[in-house]
This record gives sequence, C-alpha cells and structure tokens, in this order.
Amino acid sequence: MTSCQKIWVLLAGMCWLAATSPALAGSRLAGTGGVMAIEGASGGGLSPWGVLAGTASDIDIGVTVGATRADVDDYHLVVSGMAVNFYDRLELSLANQRLALDTLGGHQAQDIYGAKLRLFGDVLYRPWGIWSLGVQHKQLVEGRELARAVGARNTSGNDVYLAGSKLFFDAVAGRNLLVNTTLRSTTANQGGLLGFGGDRNDHRELMVESSVGLFLNPDWLVGVEYRQKPDNLSFAREDGWRDVYVAWLINKHVSLTGALLDLGSIAGIERQRGGYLSLQLSL
Amino acid sequence: MFCRLATITMLLVGLSGFAGQQATSSTLYQRLGGEAGIHDIVTHFLINVADDPRIVGYFAHTNIDHLADSLEQYLCELSDGPCTYEGPSMARAHQHMGLTDASFNALVDNLQRALMDQKIDVGARNALLGRLAPQYSDVMRDQ
Repeated sequence: MTSCQKIWVLLAGMCWLAATSPALAGSRLAGTGGVMAIEGASGGGLSPWGVLAGTASDIDIGVTVGATRADVDDYHLVVSGMAVNFYDRLELSLANQRLALDTLGGHQAQDIYGAKLRLFGDVLYRPWGIWSLGVQHKQLVEGRELARAVGARNTSGNDVYLAGSKLFFDAVAGRNLLVNTTLRSTTANQGGLLGFGGDRNDHRELMVESSVGLFLNPDWLVGVEYRQKPDNLSFAREDGWRDVYVAWLINKHVSLTGALLDLGSIAGIERQRGGYLSLQLSL
Repeated sequence: MFCRLATITMLLVGLSGFAGQQATSSTLYQRLGGEAGIHDIVTHFLINVADDPRIVGYFAHTNIDHLADSLEQYLCELSDGPCTYEGPSMARAHQHMGLTDASFNALVDNLQRALMDQKIDVGARNALLGRLAPQYSDVMRDQ
C-alpha cells in the first residue's frame, strides 16, 4: 500500500471514529489550532506549534486534512497529511512529503508519523500559554540511495520537540499577537528528505524554531517564521528556513495559507526562494 | 528581496492597525460605548447565548434580568468604568456548574460575535477579551 493509500484508509477510519463519537468537531475558537505544518503536525507552515490541530476541545475529537505545495527555484515539494486531535490532549498525525528535484532530476519522499501531547496550558487563557511535547518518526521511502550517496548515515530518524504558543491580546495596534517557540532535537538533513546524520556530524542537535503572527482580525493572520536546521553533510551547506505567511481562516473548517519562502541552500544549489500554498479542512 | 517583502508586510500590518485605532487616552469603558454600549453588548451576548444549543442549558434556572444587570456591572468595572461589581467572585458564581473547556469557549465565541456585531473597535474588542481571558482560571476552579 502506498503512503497516499494509507492516508486515505486512515482518513476513512478517523471519519468513522469522529462520526460515531458523541461530540463531533471543535468548540475552540477559530485559529487556535494554527494550520497544518509541512510535517503534518499543527503549527505554522514550517514548524509545529504548542497548539493541537483543529478546534477540538476537552469533549471533542477533531480530524484535519491538509494539502500543501511549495515551489522554489530548483525544487518543489508536495505534502499531504492528516491529524486527529483527541480531546485537545493528544494529536496524532501522518504526512507524506514528496520532493521533486526539478533541476537535478529524481524524487525524494518520506513518511512522517507524529504524536503531540499537550503538557499544560491554553494558548488564550493561561499566562504561560500552551506547551506540548511532540515526536516525529520520519522514514525515507524514495531516494534512500541518494541520501546515502551524499553522506547521510541513516534513512530514518526521530525528532523530539517541545513547543510553546501564546496569544497576547491587544498587543500591536489593537491586534492580537501569536508567539511560538519550538525546541527540536534532530539529526535530519533538510527535514529528513536528505536522510539523517552525516559525515560531518552524526549526533542529535537542539534547534530553535520560532514564529510571530498578528491577527489582523479573527480571520486573517500574517506573520514570519524561522526554522534553524543542522548542517551534517560536507557535500553541501544547509541553511535555516524562513518565510513570511498569510493565513486566511475562511471558517472553522477551511483555511488557506500562502507564504513566501526562503529555504537557503539545498543540496548545493544556492538561494532557493519561492512560494507556498496550503489548504486545510477540519471536522 | 525577502527582507524587503517582510518589511513591506509588517508596514502594511502596522498601517492597517493604526488606521482602525482610536485615541488611546480614553478608558476601555468609553471605547466600549459607556453604559449604553455595555448594555447593548450584554443584550446581544445573551441573545447569542440563548440561541446556542451548546450552552443554553446552563442558564435554564437563571434569572436572566438579574444576570444581565450583574454582567453589565462586572464589565463596567473591568473596563475601568464608574461602577463597583457587587456580585460573587467568578469562582463562586460558576462553582459546580459542570462547565467544560468547550462551554467556556462557546461563551467567548458568543461574546466575540456580540462585540463584532456592535462594531466595537478592534482594539477595544481585543482589550476586553484580553482582560476576560485570565478569568478562565477562576471560572473553571471548582467544576
């Protein structure tokens, strides 16, 4: 079964679960679940946040599916993913990333199985915000040979992260400001698409990811994101990722996110910049 | 290019914010429309609640007129208006109601819609929500 088929089977299962559970969909305010990040967990575009997917609250189960496409100068990435939020306590997610090497030729693809546990707090109501602990098990399913050829030590790896999010009311020009910080322990090269560990460094490193977003009104969020990354491979330098994003929360069930990306140097090709579009549906 | 775009974006955000901003020298109470404004907010809020099947059940045995008066007094004091709230504490007022996070969120949702329907300026709306948000801990203390 391909990754895509797996996602649809899982989706069907989750829909059944959601449909048969007493409370369907969420009561948390729109926007408090962020959007689906490229690794399937809820967050911004590039990083997982402290919040859990969708708008499920303490008596709800919520299902979120997302599709994302990012185009930079010499590559494009397609991501399909889904996340299930159980009672705003536990989020399970699954994502498939497929990176096309438009200039170099070929594909890299990986599956990401994620779990995020809310440790404590609330993004709106608690002074310290919301804090969650997450894991992402990543497995290269295409392009393992290339990853090894460029010096990666493994074709699968586990990221562990701690993420915190807090909304500050009436913070900038009367608008609410959303601040997120994530600390991630990882060995992944380009998020895992070029394998894990490398000839230059094969140890876990702690990376900082951060974003700020301003709610222009309850439906529109604009912001910037930054994600620090390891630099494990001697064949090519790896840079941090950053973006400027706009998220349109059309209603509680549908959101559309656009971003301008600057992914730096990827596999020896400098200055990879472009755009990002992500559609998300939540039940 | 990236930095320039970021700068332009933040600039636009700033401008759009300041355009909608009223004079900040007035109290939040004044920005909410004073006594009449708060009365309208509370009325709309309670109409929204009455129409909300998620939470209307909690108010089945509530004297709504008394609740409205008490709520107006509470919001008046909270927004630095010329009132003293004489009702019970938030913890006392909500104890053993069996409230869930979901019902609390529904309440906030109804208030936010009432504020938007009343065309309360975005800054005043968020300032009021910001002052109410920390009450969550007290409201949910004894559930």
